[in-house]
This record gives sequence, structure tokens and C-alpha cells, in this order.
Amino acid sequence: MTLSRRDVLRLAAAAAAAPLLPRLVVAEPATALAAGRFFDAAQMALLDELTEMIIPQDEHSGGARAAGVAAYIDGRLAQYDSSIPDLREEQEKWKAGLAIVDAAARESAGASFLAATADQRLAILTRLAAGEDHPKTDGERFFVDLKHWTTFGYYTARIGIHDEMEYKGNTLLAEFSGTDPATLPAIPPPGAPRPGKP
Amino acid sequence: MLLRAPAPPPKDVDLSRTYDAVIVGSGAAGGMAAHVLTSHGLDVLMLEAGKKLDIESELKSMEWPYDHPRRGEKPYTAHALSFNEYTIRQPPYAQGTPWKTMYSYVQGWGGSDYSKNILVNEQDHPYTGTRYAWVRARVLGGKTNIWGRLALRLSDYDFKAKTHDGYGDDWPISYADVAPYYDKVDLYLGIAGHPEGLPYLPDSLFQRSTRLNAAEVRLRQSLARSGRVLTPYRAGVTTDGLKHNKYRSRCFGRGACGRHVGGCDIHAAFDSPTGLIYPALDTGHLTLRTGSIAREVTIDPGTGKARGIAFLDAGTGQALEARGRVVILAASTLESARLMLLSRSAHHPNGVGNSSGHVGHNFCEHVMGPSVYGFYKDLAGKPRTIDDGRPGGFYIARYRNLRERHPSFIRGYGFEGSSGTEMFPSTARLPGFGASYKKAVREMSSAAVHMGGFGEVLARYENAVGLDPEVKDKWGIPVLRFSFQFGDNEKKMAADMADTAREMFEEAGIEILSVDRKVLTEGWSIHELGTARMGADPKTSVVSPFQQSHDVKNLFVVDGSTHVSASCQNPTWTIMALAWRSCDYLADQMRQGNL
Repeated sequence: MTLSRRDVLRLAAAAAAAPLLPRLVVAEPATALAAGRFFDAAQMALLDELTEMIIPQDEHSGGARAAGVAAYIDGRLAQYDSSIPDLREEQEKWKAGLAIVDAAARESAGASFLAATADQRLAILTRLAAGEDHPKTDGERFFVDLKHWTTFGYYTARIGIHDEMEYKGNTLLAEFSGTDPATLPAIPPPGAPRPGKP
Repeated sequence: MLLRAPAPPPKDVDLSRTYDAVIVGSGAAGGMAAHVLTSHGLDVLMLEAGKKLDIESELKSMEWPYDHPRRGEKPYTAHALSFNEYTIRQPPYAQGTPWKTMYSYVQGWGGSDYSKNILVNEQDHPYTGTRYAWVRARVLGGKTNIWGRLALRLSDYDFKAKTHDGYGDDWPISYADVAPYYDKVDLYLGIAGHPEGLPYLPDSLFQRSTRLNAAEVRLRQSLARSGRVLTPYRAGVTTDGLKHNKYRSRCFGRGACGRHVGGCDIHAAFDSPTGLIYPALDTGHLTLRTGSIAREVTIDPGTGKARGIAFLDAGTGQALEARGRVVILAASTLESARLMLLSRSAHHPNGVGNSSGHVGHNFCEHVMGPSVYGFYKDLAGKPRTIDDGRPGGFYIARYRNLRERHPSFIRGYGFEGSSGTEMFPSTARLPGFGASYKKAVREMSSAAVHMGGFGEVLARYENAVGLDPEVKDKWGIPVLRFSFQFGDNEKKMAADMADTAREMFEEAGIEILSVDRKVLTEGWSIHELGTARMGADPKTSVVSPFQQSHDVKNLFVVDGSTHVSASCQNPTWTIMALAWRSCDYLADQMRQGNL
């Protein structure tokens, strides 16, 4: 599922060369029909699409699909011990959340989410995201979870850390980056008290 | 050069002999006591409840998240308590839990798989009473294995705070008494920082400072206009190396410092094992016994003096006693108080060293929660620097109640903060989704600044811990019952933190994304202090200015429990300076035949 850096660049180049094609064509999931360890094939395809909509491939780097975020979430939920009530609820919440998205699509677009048009999908996800700060409905709460695990899965993946954020740390450095405080003007003392009392 | 000297070989424990001193606890205080006493040639036995871990293989400071099966997270069968749970539930928090293990909130941070064996399982270590987020590490070195590294000095604004504002009690010592010992700690352990010449936040003998990035320089300059001081994080980290310590490397700014929970597998950041205990073992005078659960200070029935420590072997459950001419408690503020209260005898019916009735009382700490997060918009999209390749970002020194009096609260607070890029972008919290969200996360990450306050919680007699009459821990030892709550002063101070944080960001031209006014649960700062305070008067204090029990002359308590007030500075460096001072005194008294 994970694309190499070269694949991503190639896809990005193709996207740039074909500006009239909708992006979805470029980023079509290669594994759309494969079942996950926790989700079935249809749920995986839906989750994969939702994560990619949250962090899409762009000219800078691959998106959630290339970073394998759906597989990360699926693997995580598969490892949950369902004898622990909180974890079982979490598992159920994810399946229910995906069902809410599909139900919203059938209501507004008359088709499953994946069968809806790109504009319809965007409209549905935008509605669910509207309550991000103070989610009130199950759908809005699902979006918060979905985004949380998508960002965590993406920015802890190779593509997220190295390609997207171009993180240069986690290596031995000769010197800290930034400005040596000794080169800065000393802070003048007027506001500072004198040590008179006590 | 990366230093990776192995730990010294263990020495056989001989429980049939009487050691010069028995130390309970191996954190900052116990480690320092071991260092100082062994350097005086005394034979010391150190008891640690937890294990000695192969800490480098626990911490794996440079493991990439994607190389870890759960991206650095603890096993999914483990649960970390949340702010919400602390708020709506009563301790013992693990009671009836379906989780395989339950941890304090610290284990809810990313990277928690690396600290899962360092922090205690709440199921084995219950406590009762008022809500409290108690974070404990039962392992060689205690919490110094994962501490936040901010290493600050107290000043006479703290030691003589009552003289300043009339509240509470002054310490029986002043800055002049402690300053030479702060110097010793600085030189022996290494500290990075930049001198500012502030009377209310004295400078240490600093090694090479960390640096400030563009946003931090601008915030510093903005604050300077009102006489407030933003200084690079004063980190208990050796940035230049320590020629006298073969177990610790200098800091290479690698970037694992931004990963919670902390810990440094090259030991550039101070930890008690490599900084204090291994060198003490190398003297040949220190014997270490891990897996030793102290449950009582034993008393010589004839003299009423301390005879040693009764403890349980954590593996076998066997009850044992270690004997010492002197007993030193360094088990942490709350565990040392618990141990004193557990040690009831005919001579000391109230618990050892507790004729004053003050053991467990005057419990204080730091209040935190109010924080602010924002952006220097014009820094967006600028090349990102390696901002988590530092032991910390910045510290804003206290500015309240120094010369002017604030109308609604006494004492002060400081801010810890940082700016810029970490491995996991703080900007992932930005709202929205899609291409514009992704771009904003990327571009704004070089522009982000955040900081949160740490304020003094007043020492009050009624804030206390005592023994629970019924609940016992895994080893059958009565647990602590908390009676601790923030008061009006803390709440007003926290409100002021949030207000001034906003003002400072606004004045600095930082566009604010969020201001959090929430006060976090009692205990959140992990800076418990003051349950066996020092004083000149045996009627109102537990130990002397040299941390010697007023009641039992061969009993010393050298951890944060002896602090008279919390100040707003992080306490670790003060704990170690005081322990050094007291152990010098102890060795001297022993030489003179007074102990």
C-alpha cells in the first residue's frame, strides 16, 4: 500500500500534467477491494477515501493513502482486545461511524459515499467537519476521531515525517539551531526589582 | 563522543551488618545522598522499591515512530487516566477497571511505550481521598528517568517569602546557605542556560546554552519592553560534557526531547542512576538493593533512635530489615511522609519524627493548565529548524508580586514554552481537512509558539495526606489518603496566567489560535512538596534546616517533603542542593561522633 518517494513524485507529476482530471483518478486506491484485519473490503475502501480526503496527495508529497493510514487504523482496531469494554466500544464506534457516512451519502446523493461524485463527497465531509470544535452528533464526533487517527497515522509515517514535513531531526547535531542568546541584547532592568527586600 | 559505559557490577548486600547509612529511594534525593555520603567514605546501603531497568533499551530515544508496531504507543490493553476521569471519579482510580494495566495521565502522551515499565501500574499502587493525579516511577532513578529537565534555582523571594508578603512561613535557611550547593550541583551534573542576572531567578554555573529560534527571539524582545524575561530553557542537561562522568554523553540535540514521555538514552539529561548512583557505586562504598519495598523505619526500643528499615522483597515477599547508623528517607515527598506515618512505635506513637503532628501536612506543589497557542504569521512557510533537538524551548521568569503587589493573589508563576517544529507537528491541531489543511499544517509549523504556566500552590496545613485506615497496596501496606485541594489563591493566579499569556502574545504580535483557561487536576505538575517541612521550631516543623528529624537525630529526610513552600520554580535542582548540604552536615556530625 505504501508508495515509494519516487512513485509519489511520479504521481504528483502526472497530476500536474493533467490538471483537468479530477485528483481522485490519480490517487485511486490500489487495494480498494482488499479486506482489512478489522474492516471488510467496503469499509476499508471507504476509510481509505476518507483519510485521503483529510490529508490528500498534493504537489508537495503523498497523502494519507500513500502513507497507509487506513491500514494503520485498521491494524490498530484489529489489535484491540474486545473483552475490554472501552476498546469494544471504540471498535463499534468506527464501524458505526463509517455507516453514518454512507447513510449521509445515500440521503444526500442517493448513492454510497464512494459512488457519489467528488463534490457530493466533499459536501458530506464538510458537514461532518463543521462541528469539529464542539461535536454534537455521532457523525461530528466520528469526524473528530477520524481526523485524530488520520493525522496521527500520517504524521508518524515515513511520508508524513520525511516527505511532507521534511523533518531533519532525530540525528546527532554539532550545535543547536537558532540564535545564541549571548548575541542578543541583555534585557534592561527597569521593570526588574532590586533584591532589597527581603 | 557518545559514552556508553556499562553500569558497574553490583555489590553483595549484607543484611547482617549495620551500614553507616541506609537510604530509601534512588531518585534525585536518594542518588544525591548516596553520592555525597560515599564521597565522604561512608558505607551506604540504598533500597529501591523498583527494578533496575536496562534503561537504554527501554527508552530507545531515536526510534522512529513508524519503526514501532504501535507508533510508540503503550500496549492497547493499558489505559492512561484522562483529565476527565480525574475530574469525575474518585480515587482509587483503578478500582474495578477492566484494563490490564492502568497508568497516570502521563502515559496518555505519545511515546508512552518507552515509559511503560518506568511508571507504576495504578492497580498495584492505589490511593484514596480527594482527586489527585499522582505520577510515580518505581524504578532505579525514579522520576529522574523521565523528568522535564527544567532546572531552576530558588531565591530569597522564595526562601523568605513570608517576610515578603506575610503569608505562611519563611524557610529556616536563606539563599546564601544554599547557593554554594547549587554551584556544586551545577558543576557535578551539568546545566545548560543563559545568565540573566535576575535576583528572583538566580543564574547557575551554566554550560553552553541552547538557542532560541526566530519566534522566541521576537517574543523575548517584546517581553523585554516590560522588563519580563524569556530565557532559553535552563536544562539539567550537560551540553559540554562532564569529564568526571563516564556514563553520560554531552547533548547532541538529537530531537527525542520533544517526544513525551521524556528520557535520554545517552544521559545528557541528568538522571540519578548515571549522574549519581553509578559513580557512587564506583567508589566501592555503595551497595544497592532493588526490589526492596520499605514499609517502616525500625526503632531501637532502648534509645528511640532509628535502627534501620523494615522492607519486603518485591520478588519473594520476604520481610527483611536493613540496619544503619543513620536512616535517610528519600522516597519522594509523599512516599517519605507515608513511611514516617507507617512507622508507629512506643517511642513514636504518631509516626516517627512526627511529634509536631506536621508530617503529611503543609503539602504544596504547582498549579498548571492555563496556556496559549498561536502563530507568528509571517514566519509561516519559512525553512523549519530542528526545534525539538533541544532539551527545551524557553522559560519566562516570574513577574508577579516581586515589587508590586497583585490585588487578587500572592506569589508568582512562570511559563514554560517553545516554538517551531517537532517531529509530530503541533499544527496538526489546526481545524479543517483537505489540501488547505495539509498545507497549513506544513507551513504554519515553523510559525507556532505555545506556552503554559506553572504557579506556586500555597502551603496550607489543611492540605495533607494521611494513611487510609482500610485500603492497602499490593504488598499489604496501608496507602495514602489525600485531602488536598487548590484554594482561592491558586484559582485567581491561574486566571491571571491565562490573561497575561494572552496579553503577552498579543503584544508580541503573535496571532492566537487558542487560550486554555482550564486548571489541571491537582498533582498534574508532578511537583509534590512539603509534607515534612523544615523549620527551627520542633513544634511546627518536622526536620531541622539540615533535614535532620527534630525527634530522631539519626533520621534524615532529604527529598522535596522538607520544602517549606513550593515557590514557582521546578524543584529538582533545589532538592539536590539541599540533599548535598545536609549530607555534608551528616558526614561531619558522624565524624564528630554526634550520630
